[in-house]
Amino acid sequence: MSDAVDVDELRNWLADGYASSVRTAYLILGNRPDAEDAVQESFLRAWKFRDSLETGSSFKPWLYRVVVNTCNSKLRKEIPHRNRRRPGDDLDDVAMIEDPIGRVTLSHDVMSALKDLPTHLRIVVVLRYYADLSEHDIAIIIGRQPGTVKSRLNEARRRLALHPALQSDAPGPINVRKERQS
Amino acid sequence: MSTFDEEMMKRALRETADDFAISEGAVERILDEARDTASDESPRIRAFIQRNGRVRSTMLAAAACVVLLAVAVPLFNSEGKSPRTALQFAALPKVAKVGTHGESGVVIAGTGNLGLSGQVTATGTSLSLTSPDGKTVQNAKTSSPDGSLRVEEIGRIQLTVGGTHFQSTLTQLTDFATTDGGFVASTQSHIGTKATHSYSTGSIVLQVPERDFTMLVDQVRHAGVATSVVTSATDVTGQYVDLQARINALQVSRTQYLKIMTRTNSIGGILSVQNQLNSIQSQIEQLRAQLNLLNSETTYATLTVSLSEVGHQIVTPAHPATGVDKAWHDSLHGFAAGVEWLIRIAGPLLFALLLLAALLVLGRWTWRATERRRGGVS
Repeated sequence: MSDAVDVDELRNWLADGYASSVRTAYLILGNRPDAEDAVQESFLRAWKFRDSLETGSSFKPWLYRVVVNTCNSKLRKEIPHRNRRRPGDDLDDVAMIEDPIGRVTLSHDVMSALKDLPTHLRIVVVLRYYADLSEHDIAIIIGRQPGTVKSRLNEARRRLALHPALQSDAPGPINVRKERQS
Repeated sequence: MSTFDEEMMKRALRETADDFAISEGAVERILDEARDTASDESPRIRAFIQRNGRVRSTMLAAAACVVLLAVAVPLFNSEGKSPRTALQFAALPKVAKVGTHGESGVVIAGTGNLGLSGQVTATGTSLSLTSPDGKTVQNAKTSSPDGSLRVEEIGRIQLTVGGTHFQSTLTQLTDFATTDGGFVASTQSHIGTKATHSYSTGSIVLQVPERDFTMLVDQVRHAGVATSVVTSATDVTGQYVDLQARINALQVSRTQYLKIMTRTNSIGGILSVQNQLNSIQSQIEQLRAQLNLLNSETTYATLTVSLSEVGHQIVTPAHPATGVDKAWHDSLHGFAAGVEWLIRIAGPLLFALLLLAALLVLGRWTWRATERRRGGVS
């Protein structure tokens, strides 16, 4: 009886957060099957240890924390030891193949720059600019001080600004933005 | 150099992520998985908790055992190492009466509010200990075949006398021994002078008949200021009886061999019996010598008197006087030994921990460096 109630609770969680979680994982991992695996594992783990969520505390950062930890685990343990990517799974491939005309260049260059970031910087960028979380929430999710988040974001912004794909004189998103603005 | 456009980044990420088509049935798959695990989750969690509980209990029990061992082993060792005399007493100066002999045993009594304490580890036969208020504390009685006890008594007294009375006290002590039917076994003295700023010190060993030992102790104690009185009595009745029995048995054997010899006609037989008789006679002589020594030791009691002039500091070993005092000292010693043991193992343990920590830090640093390189490349 209680299990049925709990599964209903999990259904609510999935309805609220599955899409955003799997897309966040996708941006972090850069791979579609790994993102789905990671999010499935994250939800099951979060549901299993749902009692550890303190009453009154925010659900969203907690769930993101589980997702990020699972992604980190995959990046550390699983992904480096195999190569099971299929065409269409990778971020670059998706951007090039599936994106409609007009967004291809923008997405492709930004994703290329994002993928060149180290994992710990990529995570804070994704959480800040995709999940739209505050530095404080990101600090809770990655288990660091807000100052660390701030410095990582600064470092990530610096690297992205220097990335060849995002240079203003290079063909890419800056040009696209200028074209769109004009 | 271009600047980072946050809005553009947000838009690019959103557009890329939004193109991610959510797999149909993904949610249902997760729910199915959750339902499958729900059925056996509770027992698993319970087992996990129980296992963790068991592990915690085991760890606590192991830690308790280690602490107990750390305390108990040194305690046990300290108790095992301390030598025991049959009866050892240490009393503070004004002991009114130390040592009286009764017909049935040795009675040692103290009176007044003096710190009198002692321990008894009698082996064999009879020792009787009476507390200062006259009550018998311990009484374990056996007796030799002739009904008398054989007790070897020794004592040590430290006396402090005035500078002008040093020589006269030495003479007085000699008189005590000779008057009681004893003698002076040895004497040693050093006469101090004001010119050399040295004090007079000396020692004298008195031997008196065992029955007069208590009286001698009493006399000596009053010859000056007694700073320490220690007497011990060892009951050797069992040893004495054993020696006598062995001598008797050997004498019976010798008689038998002598009878055999009278009936033997061959030279070889006579020689063989003679050899046996020689061996038995030798053993009898040895045992008689031991018996005589024991007789002598139990006939005469020995009292060693250390004399010193007033003002001379005497370093005396601290003897725990009473059982409680001794237990307290043993406890302190055991605690100190336990702490010493912990400190002794703390060094290697700390070294191992530091090594482990260094390896962990090094490993983490290497891993992070590798991750950074990998992240930078990919």
